[in-house]
Amino acid sequence: MFRSLICRSLIIHKLKPNISSREKIRTFHVSAGLRHGEYEWMDPKSEAEVVNITYVDKDGKKTKVRGKIGDNVLYLAHRYGIEMEGACEASLACTTCHVYVNHDFVDKLPPSEEKEDDLLDMAPFLKENSRLGCQIVLTKELEGIELQLPKATRNFYVDGHKPAPH
Amino acid sequence: MTRLTPLYCQLRAASSCPFAARQRSQVAPAADLTEEIFTNARPYSEVPGPRPIPILGNTWRMVPIIGQYDISEFAKVTKLFLDKYGRIVRLGGLIGRPDLLFVYDADEIERIYRREGPTPFRPSMPCLVKYKSEVRKDFFGDLPGVVGVHGEQWRTFRSKVQRPILQPQTVRKYVAPIEQVTSDFISYMETARDENLDLPACFDNDIHRWSLECIGRVALDVRLGCLSSDLSSNPEPQRIIDAAKYALRNVAVLELKAPYWRYIPTPLWTKYVNNMNFFVELCSRYINEALERLKTKKVTSENDLSLLERVLRSEGDPKIATIMALDLILVGIDTISMAVCSILYQAAIRTKQQEKMAEEIERVLPDPDKPITYADLDKLHYTKAFVREVFRMYSTVIGNGRTLQEDDVICGYHIPKGVQVVFPTIVTGNMSEFVSDPAEFSPERWLGAGGRLHPFASLPYGHGARICLGRRFADMEIQVLLAKLLRKYRLEYHHEPLEYAVTFMYAPDGPLRLRMIER
Repeated sequence: MFRSLICRSLIIHKLKPNISSREKIRTFHVSAGLRHGEYEWMDPKSEAEVVNITYVDKDGKKTKVRGKIGDNVLYLAHRYGIEMEGACEASLACTTCHVYVNHDFVDKLPPSEEKEDDLLDMAPFLKENSRLGCQIVLTKELEGIELQLPKATRNFYVDGHKPAPH
Repeated sequence: MTRLTPLYCQLRAASSCPFAARQRSQVAPAADLTEEIFTNARPYSEVPGPRPIPILGNTWRMVPIIGQYDISEFAKVTKLFLDKYGRIVRLGGLIGRPDLLFVYDADEIERIYRREGPTPFRPSMPCLVKYKSEVRKDFFGDLPGVVGVHGEQWRTFRSKVQRPILQPQTVRKYVAPIEQVTSDFISYMETARDENLDLPACFDNDIHRWSLECIGRVALDVRLGCLSSDLSSNPEPQRIIDAAKYALRNVAVLELKAPYWRYIPTPLWTKYVNNMNFFVELCSRYINEALERLKTKKVTSENDLSLLERVLRSEGDPKIATIMALDLILVGIDTISMAVCSILYQAAIRTKQQEKMAEEIERVLPDPDKPITYADLDKLHYTKAFVREVFRMYSTVIGNGRTLQEDDVICGYHIPKGVQVVFPTIVTGNMSEFVSDPAEFSPERWLGAGGRLHPFASLPYGHGARICLGRRFADMEIQVLLAKLLRKYRLEYHHEPLEYAVTFMYAPDGPLRLRMIER
């Protein structure tokens, strides 16, 4: 938690504009309160909305996805069958959506909040470009972003069970 | 907690970061357990430990409840196990329950947490389980909540409530309400002092009332009135206070001293059930009121909704909200209030560190009458590190646990599924293998002052999918209280030093007669 405290105090602290804009978007689409992941299942309405991103799985296999502004990359991954777990459903309580952001894009993301850093401390195979996928919301600026899944972020399943998106 | 190497800080902040990294995870998180590993593992029967039980006399009776509801000698017993048997200890031969396996190795704890799968099994409170699943099955049905619930039932329920409860954007909305409750509490404290400015001997109870009031505000959208100076005019708050105290304290008695309720409904058990029924009724009543309010409330965005309203609206079932509130009340009151007792006591006896907090708080909140914001709390780095350090040295919750759902190899032994693994965070947080100079109280270590600090050595809220649901609220409430209190007052302590003991949490045992002096 305290990396943010220190290093962050040198950076201007942004209060997650990504989340609030996302909530705004959602209130138009979602009537019965905030469900999760529905927004990501909607196709972009126009080219202007499209944000192309690439997921790289733990074996190096690349999957190109046509996302859109406002998509949360965790739920977008679920839509396209990428194995990003997200056990806590973006409630900032676990590290199972840990990703590496390719370096060109690290600085285009809003800085991580202390609570995200706090969890990243607990993430295996941490690198300097580590982030939690559930905290990345697509903007036009992120066009072309590549997200790599760590060798093994996920919990180990004895029976080979693969987590299905909720 | 600083996750970065200094190099990384330099890269990121374009300025040298004065703080070194917290020790990084060295554990390959999901290494496959191959046949070979199992073949080479030593058998379970060779795990060291007291057997049969007599070595511990009757203290094993204290052990059965892992997690938050442990009792008296447990802290000492777990330390004794480590000293006597080493980093893995088996406590077998327990009557009517699985073996307990104590693991004092932060790397192994990390590995176990990492491979726990989507529905970890966290053993807890058999009497609550019985209440939910048998006595009031009519009410709890197929979705009995999160405490004492496992598997898909647990996951389904947790999934319905965890986003509103844990997400910082919900917690942020409660800074102002919690500040209001806390202001009322501090006003009470001012008047409760004696001529020496000492708080009364029952101050721990008052903290209890504060945490109850906070939880009512969060989970039920209501001021319960537990801080009211005149409790005689309205008997309900007093009844709630008594019931809350009773609910948890008797769990210990029921499960340890007098477990006969498992077979026959003893008077204590009947009382426990009535007490729980009172809470169910209370929560239902307030939640129905909230539901009525919501019907006429003009809602333009998600932001207009309280946590409770968010759950009510998305689930459309007041029962989900009622059970959520009940779980929050049952596990949230004593945990937070005992932690606050411990934190305030440590602040009072550690004047140097208290002054450092006070300076920081004054810097962040130059105007003491201006409302606190979530952004302000984020800046209280040292204050948060102080709390973290209290949790490390005097972990309020002395341990956590998981029931193995598959066979595993832990510390080289083949451990069969069904065994209850105990992670005694109070011991591992104080082991020099994982934390440098563990006997030294040093909030700075959390600010990256260097030295060892294993990320899994001290886990006051647990880790993973079953991490404490209330952790963000707990942290926020504690921060608001410290900020409000230390901004205006200095705490001192002028009585006999208090010993820590496990009653049901690990906290200072005795009258918490803190002296509260205007700055």
